[in-house]
Amino acid sequence: MTTPATLTLRGLGARLRPGAGGGPVLSGRRLVGAGLLALLAVFAWGAPLISDADPARQDLLRTLVPPSLEAPLGTDHLGRSLLARLAAAVRLSLGLALMGVLTAAVPGVLLGILAGWRGGWVDRLLVVLSDAFLALPGLLLVLLMVAIAPGSFWALYVGIALVLWIEYFRLVRATTRTLVTSPQIEASRLLGFGPLYIVRRHLWPELAPMVLTLGAFGGATAIMAIAALGFVSVGLRPPTAELGLMMTELLPYHYEAPWALLQPIAVVFLLVLGLILLAGKDPR
Amino acid sequence: MTVLLDLTEVAVASADAIVHPTSLTLTAGRPLTILGETGSGKSLLAQAVMGTLPAGLRAEGGIRLLGQDVGSLSPRQRRARWGRQISLLPQEPWLALDPTMKAAAQVAETYRHVAGSPPAEAAANARRDLRQLGLEGAEERLPGQLSGGMAQRVAFAAARARGARVVIADEPTSALDDDRRDEVVALLKREVDDGGGLLTITHDVAVARALGGDVIVFRDGRVEESGPAARVLTAPANPYARRLLAAEPAAWPALPPRRTGGGGPVLRAEGLRKQRGGRVLFEDLSVTAEAGEVVGVCGPSGCGKSTLGDICLGLLAADGGTVWRDPAAARVRWQKLYQDPPAAFPPHVTLRQALTDVVRLHRRDWSEVETLMARLRLVPALLDRHPRSVSGGELQRLAILRVLLVDPVFLFADEPTSRLDLMTQKETMDLLVGLARDRGCAVLLVSHDRALVDKVCDRTVRLDH
Repeated sequence: MTTPATLTLRGLGARLRPGAGGGPVLSGRRLVGAGLLALLAVFAWGAPLISDADPARQDLLRTLVPPSLEAPLGTDHLGRSLLARLAAAVRLSLGLALMGVLTAAVPGVLLGILAGWRGGWVDRLLVVLSDAFLALPGLLLVLLMVAIAPGSFWALYVGIALVLWIEYFRLVRATTRTLVTSPQIEASRLLGFGPLYIVRRHLWPELAPMVLTLGAFGGATAIMAIAALGFVSVGLRPPTAELGLMMTELLPYHYEAPWALLQPIAVVFLLVLGLILLAGKDPR
Repeated sequence: MTVLLDLTEVAVASADAIVHPTSLTLTAGRPLTILGETGSGKSLLAQAVMGTLPAGLRAEGGIRLLGQDVGSLSPRQRRARWGRQISLLPQEPWLALDPTMKAAAQVAETYRHVAGSPPAEAAANARRDLRQLGLEGAEERLPGQLSGGMAQRVAFAAARARGARVVIADEPTSALDDDRRDEVVALLKREVDDGGGLLTITHDVAVARALGGDVIVFRDGRVEESGPAARVLTAPANPYARRLLAAEPAAWPALPPRRTGGGGPVLRAEGLRKQRGGRVLFEDLSVTAEAGEVVGVCGPSGCGKSTLGDICLGLLAADGGTVWRDPAAARVRWQKLYQDPPAAFPPHVTLRQALTDVVRLHRRDWSEVETLMARLRLVPALLDRHPRSVSGGELQRLAILRVLLVDPVFLFADEPTSRLDLMTQKETMDLLVGLARDRGCAVLLVSHDRALVDKVCDRTVRLDH
């Protein structure tokens, strides 16, 4: 069975393979972006392997220690290892961004294909629904969710994902509509091919580059949103290692330990840069 | 006779298209036609004369326009001659006209900005020109509201407004059906009768014949044969020119007759009626197709030919009437061939993959593909390419191969050769008709080309407006 998720991954795999369908898709800047993200992921998931530091363990005798062999990135104001905290924060940000993108992209793409393909009342209903969702103020919705369930990872996540599916829906619907009436799909249907084949051979190869671009931008937006919410203290709660939260915590020590404050800022910058580069210059 | 345009040893070189040194002379009052297939380099030659070669290409040799050497001039100096001494009648009038500007205004623009007349005078002149071209009443229409022939005449009026003595017409009739084609040819001929110079680029032998004057047969960037149309188009000496002329539908030998008593009817459509955009396309129309029979549908563009085919296939519903399809034949045995072959294949996979998918879905054997490839004279290497990198003729044969894999009883061929060259067209048609006969498949052939339909079809349905 081909579930949407495997479909997404398989399609992505086909896109990443050089030469498939006329040239590699991941070329130039996209490759740099993917490489940057891969490095950050290796850092995030690899750091616990080389250092046994717990991101929450405090050592009040050794606060704001500059980077040394013992503490490779130094310690924060509570003596926690910045290496362990940054790694945990990147895991959190990347995981949340990936989940946000998937929960937005999967329903968006599926509903877009459904609306574009079926047309008629299904299409009208979904378009009205998506317009209604668009009218909801996204950030307010997030704040509302946070108010309902303070400090919860899930509330933040649902709030961010809830309005994001619409752009996928709109884009996929428009492309599907024009493709469904094209000779290539008419010919395949006459030859007896079913909807799954048509999605796999005709629709997905056209949609994948656009969805990848939107997904990368969406991921970047999600990371910024999480960090911003953390920074203004409505996001995740301490002692969670979160990039925005870390900035707030380290801000008072900007004079004594500027190198500490700079670390979460640099990591947010690199994460977003990697995703923007991955989004590519031209969404075709 | 005044020499208007004189080319001596003009050559264009690039990676994929080359024009070898070519000389020609265009005189006032005698049309000159360059006849050749797609990719023969004939359009490059026209672009070299105009000075509109794509970036990276350079023309060598001498180009003299109205006695002046223009080949060595700067692009800016050459542009100054456009519309004044030399003008180009574009291939697709709809693309050349501004879609948001009314017909008269488009022509007036030339008077206003190229000739420098005051606005009122420019508008009056534009209206006069359009009237002379039989476009009375169309002055205030937008290009989208004009027929192909009318749009071509508006483009002609705009190109000619400043009175350029040399007109280059690049495939002026490729987008038009037979009747409209004759109109455009008459228009071009009048230009010559008025003492202008006309250089026409075409792949259509009928256009060359109707224009008369001199003809140059062009292939692979070389002149194969040249001389008066009366001689070149009736008794060519060059073997290529002979083959080209023999490929004209009117010159085809009669196709093998249908074996009688073979098959019963597979399709019977009666009393069909279809309306589109408030206009009745056809009414009380009946079509029958028997196994192994080729039924032609012809008529001008926009008359509902393709709509009729789609109704027969069941892709569209008719507004009235009944369609009976042989219930003994599975749904998948009703197939279609498309006008633009690359558009009918999944664009992102190789042709081998596309065919493998069909073979697998219908549990056929790959050896059938190989047998058919040999029969359709297709080389295996094509299979590893993507649809867009295979020539139109080969891809149309692959499309035929693909539908044969499902053993069709009815095939709707929608202008299957209108984008192909004459020789490829003949080859494709021969194969299509041969297969219909052999396999007892009914073919509904839709075409704008009356001569072609008359030649290959057992029965013809004519649609008029």
